[in-house]
Amino acid sequence: MPNDSLLSVLIDFFDLPPNTQSTNITQLTIAAWDSLAMVQLITELQRIFSVEFDLDEIQTLRSYDEIRHSLEKKGKLSPTPAAPML
Amino acid sequence: MYRQWIRALPDEQQVAIIEAGETAALSKVRRALRLLQTLEQKGPRFEVELLSSQNLEPVLPYLQFALSCLPSEPQLQLAPLDDIEGYVARPAESDRLLHARVVIWRVEEVLPEVLFPLSHGFPDQLLGRIEQVLERVERLVSLHRKFAPGVPLFISTLPLPSHLANRLFSSQHEAGALAAIARINSRIYNLAGARGGVHVLDVADWAATQGAAHADVLLEMMARQPWSATGQLSFGFFLARSLRPLLVPRRKALALDLDNTLWGGVIAEDDIEGLVLSHDFPGNVHLRIQRELLELRNRGILLVLLSKNNEADAKQGFDSHPEMILKWEDFVVRKVDWNHKHENLRDAAAELKLGLDSFVFLDDSDYEREQMRQAIPEVLILNESGDPLQILRALWETDAFESLTLTEEDRQRHHDYSVRAGRNVEGHNDDLEGFLRSLEMEVTIEQIEHSNLERVVTMLSKTNQFNLTTRRHSRAEVQRLLEQQGAIGLALRLRDKFGDQGIVAVLLAVPVPEEGTLSVDSFLVSCRALGRGVEDALWSAMLEEARRHTYHRVEAAYFASAKNQLVANFYDRLGFRRDAQNTNAVRYVLDRIETAAFPPWIARSSVHHAE
Repeated sequence: MPNDSLLSVLIDFFDLPPNTQSTNITQLTIAAWDSLAMVQLITELQRIFSVEFDLDEIQTLRSYDEIRHSLEKKGKLSPTPAAPML
Repeated sequence: MYRQWIRALPDEQQVAIIEAGETAALSKVRRALRLLQTLEQKGPRFEVELLSSQNLEPVLPYLQFALSCLPSEPQLQLAPLDDIEGYVARPAESDRLLHARVVIWRVEEVLPEVLFPLSHGFPDQLLGRIEQVLERVERLVSLHRKFAPGVPLFISTLPLPSHLANRLFSSQHEAGALAAIARINSRIYNLAGARGGVHVLDVADWAATQGAAHADVLLEMMARQPWSATGQLSFGFFLARSLRPLLVPRRKALALDLDNTLWGGVIAEDDIEGLVLSHDFPGNVHLRIQRELLELRNRGILLVLLSKNNEADAKQGFDSHPEMILKWEDFVVRKVDWNHKHENLRDAAAELKLGLDSFVFLDDSDYEREQMRQAIPEVLILNESGDPLQILRALWETDAFESLTLTEEDRQRHHDYSVRAGRNVEGHNDDLEGFLRSLEMEVTIEQIEHSNLERVVTMLSKTNQFNLTTRRHSRAEVQRLLEQQGAIGLALRLRDKFGDQGIVAVLLAVPVPEEGTLSVDSFLVSCRALGRGVEDALWSAMLEEARRHTYHRVEAAYFASAKNQLVANFYDRLGFRRDAQNTNAVRYVLDRIETAAFPPWIARSSVHHAE
């Protein structure tokens, strides 16, 4: 992963070109970012960064910047290595 | 477990699947799915309909992924949320073949009142509602049988709710949530037992073994999807395992080791008293292993004993140890000798007329498991560790023997195959000739020619014990040897009361420059025909051929190998004299060729001469 692991996660998740700028990652600019993707994205972020989001935060996770802000507030901007599960 | 499912896939796909399985990351799951899509061979098409009271849409990639690992090419159709009966009560689409219909429901939707009992007329009114749900379950099965009678139906049990207030009080009453769930699940188990084509998807069992880690309250509230990422993946594999018997037949036979597997210790060294097998720790682990194996036998899995031991020692362990659960006769085939286990397993498969991919192998020895893995990749290695507890866990966790149903043939299988493999029956040793006669053996001596050359070359390459020179000739070499004027190549085909055993003995002899002299190049007998006298029958035929060719002298040799001690004195017995010898080889000469009789218990059917 490059230095910005959140950027990598979002590029992976939405299958974006590798050189996508973080500012271009918003719910408005990505068509696939619908409510189903939102549920899956939150699942993915909770798993990778070992966080739990509060209800009022969920409403604000609409772009790279907002997600980054939320993770920073929790001090969880780096992924937590997960133990192999299966 | 899914790692065993995907063993036949290319490395790239295997690596991607394992990465997805280890991380539960949706991006990795999607990547693995994309790679699986590129395969030419995707596994069988698998049409599965999902009807659910919870939102499965976010989970679909995980389900698709897990079912693809079977391997299969899943086609998942998700019914509209909460429209279970409406969807079932539709005429089937005639052009569509459905392989399975799966109903997944939870108490949160099916009977939410029990989560809030005092607000819903606890207890009487609530008991009435429970009755209505029981009727709903019955009606669902009836509708399914009316509209899609041939399609296997999987009905989920209701898992205990992850989120429930007043759990303590709830457990005290038959109108409480936990009792209600138990009653409804009980009805679901009854329906599956009573009717063909109706099966249980035991989500309650899955959720109980997962514990709290599979649940996620935020996702539940946000999307009526109650599982965490790891829970979604785990559920996918659980669903795949539950449906797998529809696609993949179970393994039919378990070949297993004796020492340090069925009991602790080594019988040849520790004697009966020293074996670890008792009701106390750690002997109770081996006792439990034996109970599990007996249960497998009774469910129709054939047990095959593969042990490097003296047979008398091994049998004594079964006959004399007071705590022994399994009996000597519980094994349909017993191979107790010093052969390679993979050779013995091949022989057992041939005797039972089963494919090698029907076998599972259990052995405490890393060496034996590795050798089996390399020699016969089709055989599934059950355990990864020789530790008795790990062996027990492997028996608990394997899906190799899983089936949804039990048939009368399953119950009878051990008996039926014991008869089939009956040539191994005991009690004839005191009257060996009588036993051999009872086999009704009949041999045909064939010239080695195009039609049997393949088998001859295979025997040359495989036979270790009864093999005088262990020359591993290639097909071309055999052909070259036999092209010589006066060369003799004979193959012996054996039939007995159990059927045609094929070619079990081979002899190659070539002329040497010295006038009238024949030299035996190779002489071998398959290990499954040892001790029956076929070597004497073949030798008799060979002498006949030699006289026909007007030879009057035979040379032969014994080359010692690691395996052929059995025949060290074979030519002495046939009347040869020792001409020269060193530590690894003996050269023999037979100065006069006389006739030799066929063993009296072997009939000779006919002789074929090549053109």
